[in-house]
Amino acid sequence: MSNSFEMIVPARFRLNGISFEKDIPISWTLLRFLREGLGYTGTKCGCEIGECGVCTILFNGQAVNACLVMAPQIDGANIWTIEGVAPLAANKLHPIQQAFIECDAVHCGFCSPGMVMTTIALFMQNKKPDDEQIKRALAGNLCRCTGYSQIIEAVRLAATLIAEGDLKKFNSNNTAGKS
Amino acid sequence: MRSGEFAPIAGGTDLVPQMRHSQPRQLMDISRIGIDFINSENDAVEIGAAATHTRLNSDNSIKEFLPLLSRASGLVGSWQIRNRGTVGGNIVNASPCADTVPALLIYDAKVVLVSSKKKRMISLAEFILKPYLTDIKPNELLHSIICRKSDQPAGASYLKLGRRQAVNISRMTLAVSLVKDENDIIKSAQIAVGSVFPVPSRVTELENMLVGQTITSALFNDAANLAADLMIRESGLRWSTSYKKPVLIGLMGRALNEAAGIKGIRQ
Repeated sequence: MSNSFEMIVPARFRLNGISFEKDIPISWTLLRFLREGLGYTGTKCGCEIGECGVCTILFNGQAVNACLVMAPQIDGANIWTIEGVAPLAANKLHPIQQAFIECDAVHCGFCSPGMVMTTIALFMQNKKPDDEQIKRALAGNLCRCTGYSQIIEAVRLAATLIAEGDLKKFNSNNTAGKS
Repeated sequence: MRSGEFAPIAGGTDLVPQMRHSQPRQLMDISRIGIDFINSENDAVEIGAAATHTRLNSDNSIKEFLPLLSRASGLVGSWQIRNRGTVGGNIVNASPCADTVPALLIYDAKVVLVSSKKKRMISLAEFILKPYLTDIKPNELLHSIICRKSDQPAGASYLKLGRRQAVNISRMTLAVSLVKDENDIIKSAQIAVGSVFPVPSRVTELENMLVGQTITSALFNDAANLAADLMIRESGLRWSTSYKKPVLIGLMGRALNEAAGIKGIRQ
C-alpha cells in the first residue's frame, strides 16, 4: 500500500489517556498505524474488511473497527486500545479482563482484545445487559475457537464485578488538540 | 464516490475495503464538517449525509417519524460498522442490498447535492441509476436527505433476509407502510424492496393494486404473487429465481400482514 514517497500528515490525538502529536502516513489505516507506527500490537489484525472485530478499539467512546478508519481521521480523537484497559501502575487487570480469565473465555486469545473493547463499550451504555443484548453487541466480534458461551458468561460475570469508576476513563467526549 | 479528484470519506466502512482492490485515491474526510445533523421540521425530517447508523437508530424523531429507517439502520452490519457507517455512504455506494435505501424510499426521500457552484435536489429513486452507480457528479457532495414524515397512524414492517441473524448482507429487503381505515380499507400504501430489482425501488404497481381495497388474506396473497411476477418481469429468470420467487411471495405476505397489524399468520 505505501511506498517510500508516502505523504504524511500531522495529527494530534489522545491514546489511552496520553496526548500524542505524530506524523501519520496518509494511506495507513488506524490499525496499521497503531501496530506499525506506534508498536501497539495488542489490537489484532484479522480480516481487515470490518467483519471479524479483532481490531475493535474505542474511538471517542464508541466501538469501531480500526481497520476501517483511515489513520489521519484520528486527528482530535480520543482512542482507547487494549493496552490502556488495565489500571495504570496498579499491577492488576480490569474487571472485564479478570472475568474473561475466570470464565475460561480466552482460548487462543486472538479475539480477546476486541471482545474486551466491545464489552467496555457495551457497559458504557448498559450496565446490566441481558443475554440478547450481550449477543447483539458482540455480533461483530468473531471467535474462531468458537468459545462464545464462555465469552457471554464472562460478560455476564463482568457485569457483576464492574464499578462505576472502572468505566470512567473511557468515557470521554472531550477530545484532545484541535477538533 | 467513484469519480472526481477526491473521494469523500466518512465512516469508510464500504470505501476502505474497496480501496484494497483499487488504485489509491485521494480522500477528503467529511465526517466532521457538520453534516451529521438530524432536523425534524413540520412535515419532513432532514438528515445530514454523515449521520451514522447508530445515530439514526437511537434518535427519537427518526423513531417517531421514520420508523422503518430507525429499524433499518439498526440492522446494518455490526455495532462497530453502525458506529462508523453513515446513511450518506449507504446511499452513494448504491449497493443493490443497501439496508437503509428501501426504508428511505418509503418516505419519498430526496437527496440534496452540493458543489461549489450550486445546490440541487433530486429524488432518491432517480438518484440511484444502477447497481453501484448514482447520478452524483465529480464535483458534488451528498449533503443531506430529506424525508417526508410517515403517514399517521401507519402500520409498518421491515424484513431483512440474511444467511445468518446478525452482521449479514441482505439477500432481500422489504419495507411496507400501510394506513387502513376502521373498515379495513387500505387508504395508503408504500412498498419498497431491495435485492429484488437491479436497484432498490418502490413497487408502485403493487401499491396501486392495494389502495382502496379491503384487507383480506386473498388480497395479500394476490399482492405477494404480483410482487414475484414483477420481479421476474424486471430482473428476468435467473439462477436464483427458483429460490427467490417463493421467498418473495412468503416475505411479502408476511410484511403486508405485519404492517396491517394482523398477527399470528405464519407463512
